[in-house]
Amino acid sequence: MLRKEQNDLLTQTGPDAPFGKTFRCYWIPALLAEELPGNDCPPVRVKLLSERLIAFRDSQGRYGLMDEFCAHRGISLWFGRNEECGLRCPYHGWKYDVTGQCVDMPNEPQHSAFAKKVKLTSYPLVERGGILWTYMGPPESQPPLPEYEFATVPAAQTYTSKRFQECNWLQAMEGGIDSSHVSFLHRGDINTDPLFKGARGNQYNMGDLSPVFEVVESTGGLYIGARRNAENGRYYWRITQWVMPSYTMIPPRGTHSVHGHLWIPIDDENCWAWSFDYHPTRALTEAELTAMRAGKGIHAKVDGNYRPLANKDNDYLMDRAAQKAGKTYSGIEGFAMQDASLQESMGPIVDRTKETLVSTDSGIIMARQKLLRAIEAFTEQGVIPPGVALEHQRVRSAAVVLPPDQPFKDAAREALIAHPGVAPASV
Amino acid sequence: MTLFRLQPPDTHRAVKVIDLDSATDADVVRLLGDVDEADLVLMLVSAGGNAEAAARIGRACSDRRVMTHTVIVRASAVSDEALARTLAQVRPWSLMVVVVNDDDYVDDILTSFR
Repeated sequence: MLRKEQNDLLTQTGPDAPFGKTFRCYWIPALLAEELPGNDCPPVRVKLLSERLIAFRDSQGRYGLMDEFCAHRGISLWFGRNEECGLRCPYHGWKYDVTGQCVDMPNEPQHSAFAKKVKLTSYPLVERGGILWTYMGPPESQPPLPEYEFATVPAAQTYTSKRFQECNWLQAMEGGIDSSHVSFLHRGDINTDPLFKGARGNQYNMGDLSPVFEVVESTGGLYIGARRNAENGRYYWRITQWVMPSYTMIPPRGTHSVHGHLWIPIDDENCWAWSFDYHPTRALTEAELTAMRAGKGIHAKVDGNYRPLANKDNDYLMDRAAQKAGKTYSGIEGFAMQDASLQESMGPIVDRTKETLVSTDSGIIMARQKLLRAIEAFTEQGVIPPGVALEHQRVRSAAVVLPPDQPFKDAAREALIAHPGVAPASV
Repeated sequence: MTLFRLQPPDTHRAVKVIDLDSATDADVVRLLGDVDEADLVLMLVSAGGNAEAAARIGRACSDRRVMTHTVIVRASAVSDEALARTLAQVRPWSLMVVVVNDDDYVDDILTSFR
């Protein structure tokens, strides 16, 4: 459990909230690059960390992310005309460039210089790995661009999707580090999903349904090891990486691609679940890409606004017959919506004063404590939180078989670092 | 040795914390008698320290189906080999192991279980 004030602290990420300020230390994904496909294309409304913003791509291909509303009368610039290197409000013609600077004010006298004094709040928007990333903190503290491996490998080796999730970011993220739910909620899919099936490690999973967990601190967050029995007294380890504040990396299976998530607050009651698949040494196959686009693996089928087709309005397309037959454990199809349906069922912000945690929740407990410490250190002393430094981001999850007495963090040390061009450690 | 009992929480769980780094044999025997009453036994062990006492408690918990949770505090100077020795002692009976760099986390972990 958490005390109410702790729960509030971890779930509130608006501009004035302590965690809102801390979250703004990081580069975060704002849009898929496909959402701004060409110069002067339609602008896109973006809400991040409770701020309403507008993203656009100007006539020269430059990306802009700024306050959604015109400084004049508060009109949404989503209605704007994206033309001649700026976004023009259709109400009175005020025009803004990608930095938020007003560059034209046609309803003012021609000699007026007032436009120079009008500037909307704006943030950098940079493409990397098919994602448009933004940094919403103080410009003087802007860190280098993120170097998560999925975003730095060649384009043919990586695929990212996003889906709207109707709950606070933390309960979604906590699902990403709660390894013990996999043996229940997802048990019907590990051996059938095209992006998971066939790995030798799956046999260890199915042969030992009661893994033992070890949680170990890392410099950027946590390693969460799930231990199962393998042959000859050895252990099969699945090692999840959590990098603060919200990057989770699932251990790989066989020769499949590696996958993971970033959980980004839209506001305090909604978040974006970003899902990536990549392979460090090879291009993704057409079959893999087809499966990912079809919502297999950790991805989901979404509509044009990236809201899942299975959502709370249609009870997530619950299939009681599939549940009863054991085809799916919860009756919901697909890893992503199996997770999201249950997390949304907890309510917009779950009341953590009422929960009853057990020992297998230690990954979640430790993650919360690390976040609370980072918020305190940043708020009171200005200490840059873990996960901002690039070396914290250059990590990998791993699936390995190790002798029984070895600390997995040390025995798999090299496997847990992203070495470009080196295959992942996977079973 | 530190030994304290949390007040019964709303969940009616009995949670007991035992630091066994310096426990005597008599301490261990006494604690073994308390295991039956516990819902969760959390043990705090220093990496590289002697976890034999913790192992005795842990085995008793395992026999009596009491949940066991071990927190290993690893000081920066502790070698991989020393940590491995401690892990080898606690893994057979720990249902959950957490390795942390300082023991400040222990109170927070306990509060989370209430």
